Amino acid sequence: MAALLRPARWLLRAAAAPYLPLSLRLLAGGPGRPDAAVCLRAARARPVAGGLLSQARLHSIAAEKKNYLQEEPTSSHRRNASQFDWALMRLDNSVRRTGRIPKTLLQKVFDNTCHSGSPGGNQALLLLRSCGSLLPELKLSERTEFAHKIWDELQKLGTVYDVSHYNALLKVYLQNDHKFSPTDFLARMEKGNIQPNRVTYQRLIAAYCNMGDIEGASTILGFMKTKDLPVTEAVFSALVTGHARSGDMENAENILTVMKEAGIEPGPDTYLALLNAYAEKGDIDHVKQTLEKVEKSDLYLMDRDLLQIILSFSKAGYPQYVPEILEKITYERRYIPDTMNLILLLVTEKLEDTALQILLACPISRESSQNDFGSFFLRHCVTMNTPAEKLKDYCKKLKEAQLHTSPLQFTLQCALVAQKLDLAKVLMKALKEEGFPIRTHYFWPLLVGHQKEKNVQGIVEVLKGMHEIGVTPDQETYVNYVFPCFDSIKSVRAVLQENGCPHDDNVFSQAELRSKAVNGNLDYILSFLESNTLPFSFSSLRGSLILGFRRSMNINLWSKITELLYKDGRYCQEPPGPTEAVGYFLYNLIDSMSDSEVQAKEERLRQYFHQLKEMNVKIPENIYRGIRNLLDSYHVPELIKDVNILVEREKTDSRKPSSSDLESKLEKLKAENQPIGDILKQLIVMLCSEENMQKALELKAKYESDMVVGGYAALINLCCRHDNAEDALNLKREFDRLDSSAVLDTGKYVRLVKVLGKHGKLQDAINILKEMKEKDVPVKDATVLSFFHILNGAALRGETETVKQLHEAIVTLGLAKPSTALSSPLVTLYLEKDDLPAALESTIDCYEKYKILPRIHDVLCKLIEKGETELIQKAMDFVSQEQGEMTMLYDLFFAFLQTGNYKEAKKIIETPGIRARPTRLQWFCDRCIANNQVETLEKLVELTQKLFECDRDQLYYSLLKLYKVNDDWQKADAVWNKMQEENIIPREKTLRLLAEILRNNNQEVPFDVPELWYEEEKDCPTSLPSPVEVNLQQGLLNACHRRRNKDAFNIFLTAKKQNIVFDNETYARLINLLLMKDNSTQAMQVKDFAETHIKGFTLNDAANSLLIITQVRRDYLKDALTTLKTALDLDQIPSRLAVTRLIQACALKGDTESIHDIQKLVNGLEDSIGLSRMVFINNIALAQIKNNNIDVAIESIENMLTSENQTVDPQYFGLAYLFRKVIEGQLEPALKKISIMAERLANQFAVYKPVTDLFLQLVDSGKVNDARALLQRCGAIAEQMPILLVFCIRNCQRPGKAPVMKSLLELIPELIDKEEAYTCLMKSYVFDNDVTSAKALYESLTAKNVKLNDLFLKRYAVLLKNAGESVPFTEPPESFEFYAKQLKESKETHL
Amino acid sequence: MSTRGAVVLRTNIGRPVAFVRKIPWTAASSELREHFAQFGHVRKCTVPFDKETGFHKGMGWIHFSSEEELHNALQQENHIIDGVKLHVQPQKPKALQGDQTSDEEKDF
Repeated sequence: MAALLRPARWLLRAAAAPYLPLSLRLLAGGPGRPDAAVCLRAARARPVAGGLLSQARLHSIAAEKKNYLQEEPTSSHRRNASQFDWALMRLDNSVRRTGRIPKTLLQKVFDNTCHSGSPGGNQALLLLRSCGSLLPELKLSERTEFAHKIWDELQKLGTVYDVSHYNALLKVYLQNDHKFSPTDFLARMEKGNIQPNRVTYQRLIAAYCNMGDIEGASTILGFMKTKDLPVTEAVFSALVTGHARSGDMENAENILTVMKEAGIEPGPDTYLALLNAYAEKGDIDHVKQTLEKVEKSDLYLMDRDLLQIILSFSKAGYPQYVPEILEKITYERRYIPDTMNLILLLVTEKLEDTALQILLACPISRESSQNDFGSFFLRHCVTMNTPAEKLKDYCKKLKEAQLHTSPLQFTLQCALVAQKLDLAKVLMKALKEEGFPIRTHYFWPLLVGHQKEKNVQGIVEVLKGMHEIGVTPDQETYVNYVFPCFDSIKSVRAVLQENGCPHDDNVFSQAELRSKAVNGNLDYILSFLESNTLPFSFSSLRGSLILGFRRSMNINLWSKITELLYKDGRYCQEPPGPTEAVGYFLYNLIDSMSDSEVQAKEERLRQYFHQLKEMNVKIPENIYRGIRNLLDSYHVPELIKDVNILVEREKTDSRKPSSSDLESKLEKLKAENQPIGDILKQLIVMLCSEENMQKALELKAKYESDMVVGGYAALINLCCRHDNAEDALNLKREFDRLDSSAVLDTGKYVRLVKVLGKHGKLQDAINILKEMKEKDVPVKDATVLSFFHILNGAALRGETETVKQLHEAIVTLGLAKPSTALSSPLVTLYLEKDDLPAALESTIDCYEKYKILPRIHDVLCKLIEKGETELIQKAMDFVSQEQGEMTMLYDLFFAFLQTGNYKEAKKIIETPGIRARPTRLQWFCDRCIANNQVETLEKLVELTQKLFECDRDQLYYSLLKLYKVNDDWQKADAVWNKMQEENIIPREKTLRLLAEILRNNNQEVPFDVPELWYEEEKDCPTSLPSPVEVNLQQGLLNACHRRRNKDAFNIFLTAKKQNIVFDNETYARLINLLLMKDNSTQAMQVKDFAETHIKGFTLNDAANSLLIITQVRRDYLKDALTTLKTALDLDQIPSRLAVTRLIQACALKGDTESIHDIQKLVNGLEDSIGLSRMVFINNIALAQIKNNNIDVAIESIENMLTSENQTVDPQYFGLAYLFRKVIEGQLEPALKKISIMAERLANQFAVYKPVTDLFLQLVDSGKVNDARALLQRCGAIAEQMPILLVFCIRNCQRPGKAPVMKSLLELIPELIDKEEAYTCLMKSYVFDNDVTSAKALYESLTAKNVKLNDLFLKRYAVLLKNAGESVPFTEPPESFEFYAKQLKESKETHL
Repeated sequence: MSTRGAVVLRTNIGRPVAFVRKIPWTAASSELREHFAQFGHVRKCTVPFDKETGFHKGMGWIHFSSEEELHNALQQENHIIDGVKLHVQPQKPKALQGDQTSDEEKDF
């Protein structure tokens, strides 16, 4: 820790403090020592309690932010600061926990720092500092190498080194015993123009002294004196070492006297130097004497000092003295990391015996066997290749000392991770001797390594090793770890034989079979099964076979294999027999498929089932029911009847071939006066399963005296299912009369309660509940949930009494606890009726009765919405009094947030004294996520920024979760920045989530993603994607990114061939790209594949929109409509273009109905989609006209324009589209009638927009004469300047419109006076290169003395010049843009 | 929403599954199966292995044939395999969504 702290001190003094996170600044001053003391102690690393850092950080967030704002305006600094903070946090965490930094972590932080662009000076310092004693697991030389690597790399990246960096490097040299030339070092600094300081000199002296070079040290000392630098204790301590190492112990001792004379009392550091010096000489007596001396003084040596002495003894070859020093160690808890480090260091130095000695001396609690101690030691021994025999011995000792419960197992694990076969073998043998079983999977990690490299020889070695230990490879071993290394299974067999690897032929061939099955090679499976002679377990093949079936489309093979398994004597014949086994297989097959896959393969499956039927394959009824439920839940009930034909009926056939057979049998028995109870029950149950209520009731009435309990139970249930309360109740009474002690199933009781309650038979329902209690009917969670649904249903129907009485009965009978959920219908009742006082009353009543407040949040929200101030006050007073003010404030806060009253919410959460309540905040976050309330959650996060003790990271995590749901990477990225602004250190899970969102959207992840240490829970655990998959997927995404649709599609095909399935997002991207490139066939191919391979695969908004457009283009309107429905069902917002295109296409087909459907579908979404109302009006009218319903169309338009409550302002009632289509389609009768309508609207209702639009469309289509006639009939058209000008402006954007413009001008010459008009005109002429018309325009305008703007002149001038004509005025010199801008500005100022 | 909750609950009731964590690396599915067989019939037992490392991730799922058997297994306080204590819990039902959950259910 301390090692990481010192940079802060330096930075503080160098006046760079503002650039550091405040936490460090606080810490720098934290120990509160006077400056001189800091100087004196500078060379000694004193640990500081680890917790301090985080505490300081926690309390400084607000202050820190302020500092950033004031002193650090640029974001790059901020980013750097946060980057540093992140790096510090990771390294600091490691040091705090373990006292060291693993090399991998340092490497990662280093890589990340490099990646971040220009690493800051403090980051460089942090990294360099970590390369010394904090890396005990690395050899000294490797550490220094690492430091040099960092130094060079960062320098290349532009990090500027200052004296602190050189000093840090020196420290690393000292800690690593690195031999170097101090003069060279100084020269290097000089070359870099860096002035050495006191610390530099001190360390250089230490460097000389470590080599025993007193002369060199003296030279430096001389330097220091000339520079008038103070000589500190550190220098004297170094000199002690120096003299000692030069062999002069006497002078070493003397240094202490010299110090005193110089006025510096020797401190622990000096004594430690002396102690180390004696230890290096193996002089235990002097060590002991010196220790005694220190003890007598008021000085105090810490454990870590004593550990240092132990290290000196050990390294110098005197391990025999270690125990004496160990005795003196107090083993303070905080020094455990130091002890561990020493142990590791000793192992690194090959002094593992001494390391073990220290380890065994550690006073770790041996009582609790839960925490094993010493794993770090064993792991490091494995890394450092400690001999196997030694390790075995260590394990034994650790176990004897009760430090570790399973040292051998642990060491073996380390050996396996490190892929050390030989060591692993020794350890396994040792374990075996101890009687611990050696299992096949122990060898898998060893195989994995070779498999990755396709190292056949390595695989063979491991297999041989297995044999040596006496473990036979099982199927998994071959399928998962051996076969992938080879090109073919044939070659595996050959290689194994060649190398004398014994293998069980049966296991091997079954493994081969599984491997083939997984790859969909059903031909092989069939021929194997046909020719196989060995015993064979079908259950081990089942999983692979299912995969194989799904990968093969050959239904004939499916059936043949199934038949073989079913019928052949070799398979599935032992109990429970083929019916069960094959039935279960079918169930698993369907279960393994996704709903979309089953839907897609519906026809194939049907074929399969029918073939099985032909082959006389049967399945048990209970399994059929399971399959039926699956098919139901997949929404493919159509397949149920096809499975039904497989149900085994033989057994039952003899007894009940059909209901009619049974009935005749029943009658026969009756006639013979024989007992019929049994057969009657059978018949009733059968009729019930056929849902034939009528018949069943008749039968019951007919043979009432012969009814038994079971028959009644089935009948009651049937009546409940058919909502027949009357009969259900009567039957129940008869049932009771028959046997008053008989008990129904819980579900039947619940159904009775439901039906009776629903039909107002409250007392009867309550009686049923009472009976449940009396008869002790088991009440499970599901039952309680059913109760809730019964109550909630009644509440929604507004049945007050039903809800109240049933709830009361359930609770007082004790059938269920009055939980918030169960009681919420009591409140729902009134909320649904908008009776807020009663709702609140009911909630309060619940509190008084049961101490719960159901739906208080919803009640509050409604009260706020309705502005019921008094009731709010009442509610708040109540909550405040019963649950405290804080709860009340939170209730109010959430209600305000929920209702969008953010200002009020802000006031509440800023109440002095309010503090964070994590569970409540989390509740609201989860609610927002579940309901996708982005804004509400954003506000919550924003408003709680200053909330005391608020876990900001957790809140941002929730926000990210919601963004992930919406796949909004921009917002997620903004969160990343906000977190930095607030200076929050994100937890790993937050970083991972953020990274996931960014990656899913092909964005670069701007930070290092923490590795997963355990997989999140998954329902269907699958293995990680293989590198091949990842590569292909990456390739595909890259291709998509570059819009290379052909490449992307080819990759898709390759992957498909290899049966590789990518994730949702990848397919979505590919489909988008293909649709964009108008490759709808390919897009559909991808879509089909994704749908059959990914459960619940759906297209996103953009893809669905593109799909609609493509489908419209190809005239698949029905499909397009389905796509639209699908998209809307998924709550997607399709694009305006897609919806418009679809509507227009429907209109051209005259399909009014579909347009109405679309209108209903998008109802309420028009604004989100951006649809104008006119789209529907125009297109419905067009569709009607196409259907020859011209009058209907005209009438409805006219109604809309003349009715009292107009939905669209007549001014914006644009029918141009309709008119154009009618004109284009040469629908003369329609045009005529429309024209009459438009004129009527103008003449009688003064609505001129339609007639003007019609006029313009006539002009636009070249029907100038018709237009002229219309104008003559309706002169007001010429006065509709705004409409006319809009037409001009729109038209001049496109080329080829000059003739239209010319005609328009001819018809309405007044237009020329408008600047917009003549500008547009000129633009059109220029567009069409019509020099003559342009000239005429210019001349007529100049003749009228119109002042022409520069843009106009510029255009005209360029046109003339391009035509090789002279320009009759000075061409405006600036560019078009210039004049366009000028014109725009001048217009704005005129406004 | 609430009907969906009911479906989830129903399917969960239909499938009594124990989720086991902290499985020692030395044990695999057959050891788990053997251990849990004392509580009832183990229909299925999965301990997924990471094919990149050759180790499992310490997690597994035990499918019992009845709720009661699962209950039996959960009742037992200590489950120890190879000297290591396992963490056994019922497979969590997916959180009920919608209007019937409320903050008051939690204890503040």
